[in-house]
Amino acid sequence: MNMSGIIFSEMYGNELNEFTHDRNMAAIPFAGRYRLVDFVLSNMVNSGITNVGVLAKQHYHSLMDHLNNSQEWDLNRKNGGLQLLPPFATETVNKNNRGKLDELRNALNFLENVSTPYVLLADAYVICNMDYRPALAHHIDSGCDITIIATKEDGSSTKPFPSVMQADSGRRVTSYALNYAAKAGDYAGMSHMIISRKLLIKIIQEYTAKGIYHLERDFIQHQFNRGQLSINLYAFTGLVLRIRDIGEYFQNSLAILNAEVSHPLFRDDQPIYTRVTDEVPAYYGMDCSVSGCVIADGCIVEGSVDHCILSRGVRICKGATVKNCVIMQGSVVGEGASLENVIVDKWATITVGAQLKGLSSNPVIIRKGVTV
Amino acid sequence: MIKRKKECIAMLLAGGQGSRLYVLTEDTAKPAVPFGGKYRIIDFSLSNCVNSGIDTVGILTQYQPLELNGYIGNGQPWDLNRNFGGAHVLPPYTKTKHNDWYKGTANAIYQNIPFIDRYNPEYVVILSGDHIYKMDYNKMLQFHKEKQSECTIAVITVSPDDATRMGIMSTDENMSITDFEEKPKHPKSLQASMGVYIFTWEVLKQYLIADEEDPKSENDFGKNVIPAFLQDGRRLFAYPFDGYWKDVGTLDSLWDANMDLLDPNDPLNMRDPSFKVYARNYATPSTRIDSGAKVSNSFVAEGCIIQGTVEHSVLYTGCLVEEGAVVTGTVLMPNTVVKKGSEVNYAIIGEQCVIEGGAKIGERPENVVGKEWGIAVVGHKKTVPSGSIVKPRAIV
Repeated sequence: MNMSGIIFSEMYGNELNEFTHDRNMAAIPFAGRYRLVDFVLSNMVNSGITNVGVLAKQHYHSLMDHLNNSQEWDLNRKNGGLQLLPPFATETVNKNNRGKLDELRNALNFLENVSTPYVLLADAYVICNMDYRPALAHHIDSGCDITIIATKEDGSSTKPFPSVMQADSGRRVTSYALNYAAKAGDYAGMSHMIISRKLLIKIIQEYTAKGIYHLERDFIQHQFNRGQLSINLYAFTGLVLRIRDIGEYFQNSLAILNAEVSHPLFRDDQPIYTRVTDEVPAYYGMDCSVSGCVIADGCIVEGSVDHCILSRGVRICKGATVKNCVIMQGSVVGEGASLENVIVDKWATITVGAQLKGLSSNPVIIRKGVTV
Repeated sequence: MIKRKKECIAMLLAGGQGSRLYVLTEDTAKPAVPFGGKYRIIDFSLSNCVNSGIDTVGILTQYQPLELNGYIGNGQPWDLNRNFGGAHVLPPYTKTKHNDWYKGTANAIYQNIPFIDRYNPEYVVILSGDHIYKMDYNKMLQFHKEKQSECTIAVITVSPDDATRMGIMSTDENMSITDFEEKPKHPKSLQASMGVYIFTWEVLKQYLIADEEDPKSENDFGKNVIPAFLQDGRRLFAYPFDGYWKDVGTLDSLWDANMDLLDPNDPLNMRDPSFKVYARNYATPSTRIDSGAKVSNSFVAEGCIIQGTVEHSVLYTGCLVEEGAVVTGTVLMPNTVVKKGSEVNYAIIGEQCVIEGGAKIGERPENVVGKEWGIAVVGHKKTVPSGSIVKPRAIV
């Protein structure tokens, strides 16, 4: 494989602060047993990429714990494998996320040591099941400086995308805008980009030396507008879920309940890997009622659960009614409690008889470890 | 030179065919038979070792080892990928003078004396990979040391009826074994051997060599080695165990043990976080239960899709129960599909089976009048065609 991977695990403009008090974005739980990082990481592995650097800056213990020795992704390699790339603790470390180029400085050693001619830079907030090899072939074929992987939009989403592009019939990008809503026929960037390793090293060194850190704005957009950067576009036609804010997190979590969404995402030939925790299979009690749910190992379901995602080791006690909820690992919903449109973070306890009701557009969020 | 050593290592006898599991062990050794939604039978013994602080396990294979070899791999799922020690699969091998299969349980250990000697252990635990139980072998080892025993056999109290089918130990008040009978017609005691032995290695090695030299010996622990220990007045003790233990050597007992997992009192204490049962995991998504499905009193592993009705059942990873299908009192092994409109009652269905629409397997006990009821069994990778009927007690 002539491409390495770099994953950004922090947020760049995403609004998921409720979940990132003590974990970074890549470690946010999703679809029962997974974390957001599992999707992009598994895609890389399934595409034959064996050198992966994961950039991390803040609260990355949860991510480290999850990735552990990367054995589950088969990245515990003698040559290559997975490397977590936290910043060096120097005075130049800035607490704020100044931009991807700032963090990429921590990948310079990694980039100099790998021998692949190409690098895929990817964010963890985009969920898809994708083979990156055709995208790389497309990139090489195009002769362009960079390739951005994007989805063709139908104009139905009014939310701004990190990048929006138009392209000619040869998929050469003709316009590039940041934080923009996409019209029908526009291409929305998936925060996945292919670039030559040498060019990437060069721009990291040159730009950060000048105190310029924003990859998309200061490098891509600036150089493109001056006609000094050619951008190839690779359109991905499969299913893509973006997690840009809490609303999208909630909506896309529950979307997994539909076979049309879960089938293309969880494919037997391109599995999504995750950390193994050796929980027992889920137990469904005598009088439980379960309908339209995704339920992970280790759960005990004795109450009524409708249209929910239950992560590992969740307990729904007798007489509890849980509807349209995302319940993360190890949380307990007590007897007779009633929950609707609620996201419960890990290890929280909803006590007996508690009533919580949010809106489908604005779910109630219970923070990690809290007792309600 | 001072050799590195291990105080205690385990040897796990996993070469048995398990012929009384019929179709389920046609192409696979008994220890590799799926159990309890996400496990294989061998996971219990292996996890016991690890949870007891034993990090070196020799796994003796002979009968249909392919599946088992692949399953054990480098031992990583059980934390047995150690630099010194870890899991080692030990098949019989050719030698300069003669080539032998494992002739019996004792001979299997005899042939692996060089393996055991590499670790220079004080004690060796001998296990069989075909029982479902959680046991701390370290407690038994403490007992072995306290009694200054040379051979300690774990025993469990059984019913007088079961005693006639098992190896029975008689002991004095000090738990010293005074008599041992294999499948006695009139058992003198109700203490049955669990197939878990701890030997002082130096002593066992001596007996294994002597046993091998005896042409009349069947080279079996129960038939030859233990009686020789008794005859010579060696220090032989019984270690009483009072937890859950089940031999899953027959189709009925395999089904029973699976159903025990549904007991709300959890007799096996499966959820104890300090004594987890480890298994090789597969990359499957969490289980999806669609609208209109009914699930109750069931144990369901990850990667299943349930659209129909599932009651009192144990579903292994990757099963699909389609809309309108009914699964009751049944064990579904990995990746089996139960199609629309079919019915599976009180049965064990092997791996990767397809139960076509309109097929009917097994029967609820209350619906069987005047005939002998029993579970129905479908072997691995079978397709049960549409409209066909598999009767109770039938094996397909």
